[in-house]
Amino acid sequence: MTIRDEVRQAVTALAAPPPPTSGGAIRGTTSDLTIDEMLLLHSAGWEPVDFVYGISWWSVPWGAWQWTTGEVQEASSAFAGAATQAAKQLRESCERAGGTGVLGVEVGVRVSSHHVAIELSGTAVRRVRADQHRFEFVSDLSARDFVLLDRAGWWPLGIAAGASFVIAPRRTAREWASQQGQNAELPNLTQALYLARERAMERMQRSGTTMKADGIVAVKLREGRASSSVRVIQFVAIGTGVRLRTASHRSIAPEMVVPLDERLRQFDVKSLRGSSPE
Amino acid sequence: MTDTADQAGTGRSKGPDASSTTAPLPKGLPPDASRRLAELEDRPGHKGMFTSDLSVNEFLLIKEVGFHPLGFVMGSSIYHLGIQTRRWSQSQELSKLTEAMYEARQLAMDRMDAEATELGADGVVGVRLDVNYYEWGADTAEFIAVGTAVKAEDGRSYRNRQGKPFTSDLSGQDFWVLMQTGHVPLGLVMGTCVYHIAHRGLGQTVRAAGRNVELPNFTQALYEARELAMTRMQDEANELEASGIVGVRLEEKSHMWGAHTIEFLSLGTAVARSTGDFTIPQPKTIISLDG
Repeated sequence: MTIRDEVRQAVTALAAPPPPTSGGAIRGTTSDLTIDEMLLLHSAGWEPVDFVYGISWWSVPWGAWQWTTGEVQEASSAFAGAATQAAKQLRESCERAGGTGVLGVEVGVRVSSHHVAIELSGTAVRRVRADQHRFEFVSDLSARDFVLLDRAGWWPLGIAAGASFVIAPRRTAREWASQQGQNAELPNLTQALYLARERAMERMQRSGTTMKADGIVAVKLREGRASSSVRVIQFVAIGTGVRLRTASHRSIAPEMVVPLDERLRQFDVKSLRGSSPE
Repeated sequence: MTDTADQAGTGRSKGPDASSTTAPLPKGLPPDASRRLAELEDRPGHKGMFTSDLSVNEFLLIKEVGFHPLGFVMGSSIYHLGIQTRRWSQSQELSKLTEAMYEARQLAMDRMDAEATELGADGVVGVRLDVNYYEWGADTAEFIAVGTAVKAEDGRSYRNRQGKPFTSDLSGQDFWVLMQTGHVPLGLVMGTCVYHIAHRGLGQTVRAAGRNVELPNFTQALYEARELAMTRMQDEANELEASGIVGVRLEEKSHMWGAHTIEFLSLGTAVARSTGDFTIPQPKTIISLDG
């Protein structure tokens, strides 16, 4: 069995409806939240429900990477398609579990020469006193960030993402020769990469505008080699779209404290999210 | 001390217009960048939004001191580093490489500044400077500057005396504390020095073998290189009429030059006292009972 078949099987299994529960009661809660996070969530009137996934693979046509210069459009549109599809699956999976929002979403992006894969996984949550079952949000923020945002009057909406793939242009022999041993900026390379970054950001902004966000916080700009060619570089921008829910921003009034412990315990979001498999 | 160095590498303009209060025109912002930034701004028929790489904590703390994020801004430059011959047995600054490392970072920062200016920002917080190397570029490196452009909500201008948005590598938390203590950031200041450290001669190696001795040429070379980098950083702060530099970091990297050639980079945020009286709140001392 090939990896592709295995993944198909896994995806089908995930898409199948969960076993029926007796009397509409929620099955035992599964979540990757820590006890601290659970407590915080409860303090804000929320509870975790289940661990949910959304996975989508999109193919990139053969030869897309080799025969173009500049941006690899096929890959960018495959990313956009996979992101939308994965978010939709995550949402469906959350609704099936009885949740109205997903927190602490880990975003996995894998790009190879033939496909773009996006994997989203997080904890579905719902209000403790649920009078409504309307789906509310998906966010890569931790439970703590969520509670803080809520206190300040803000609300997460969804994950905004954008990507762009660029083939770094080659220098002409003449340029190469004239630059040997010199200090010089390489304008065409600079521009190609600069624009690719801008485009990834712009696409992320557009996806924020689509969800009518006031802003996108905690933007992460990931970059690295894509596909088998060293000249293909990928830029991925991911953040959480937020909206001001109250009339104005509410102050959280922080206080200055000096911890007197010998060992200063630094706050670490990773530790709050529990150990990740990676 | 501040008057001694600056022989090489600091390419910042010191002309008379550097001190003028009008905002300089952004030079050469590519159309794609302008388009992205235009989408962030409110205009009739289009609701703008902000983007920010600040964490939720930082975002809320920035709001707490009266600033609103405008947009994630960046600048980059791919730079071909020149070659400079080094004498095997001589400690010396490699001024050509120093210049390259300085100018490339400056280009990236200028572009980031231009993006922030385009957004009408008062400053850029959480600035990070990175250097990337790609497999396809021999002797080339990409210098990147990214940060979040912010604007004061009370309409006061926080631009520095060069009329540019201030830049700062302080985190949202540090920025909050800085403002609580009655200071304002003026700019990210840096100094760099690429230094070649002489190899030890045969005689020296033999004399030092098996003994505890100081190696004066190594000591002196490293000392001098650090001093040069720090002095250049201080000169930049003086130009901004800063009262001090906070959060100074001194980084040492060999990049791709081998063990004996090291870049010393010092970075910090130049600050000045803000007008008005400030009483620094007495911090509460706590002992956590866990762990």
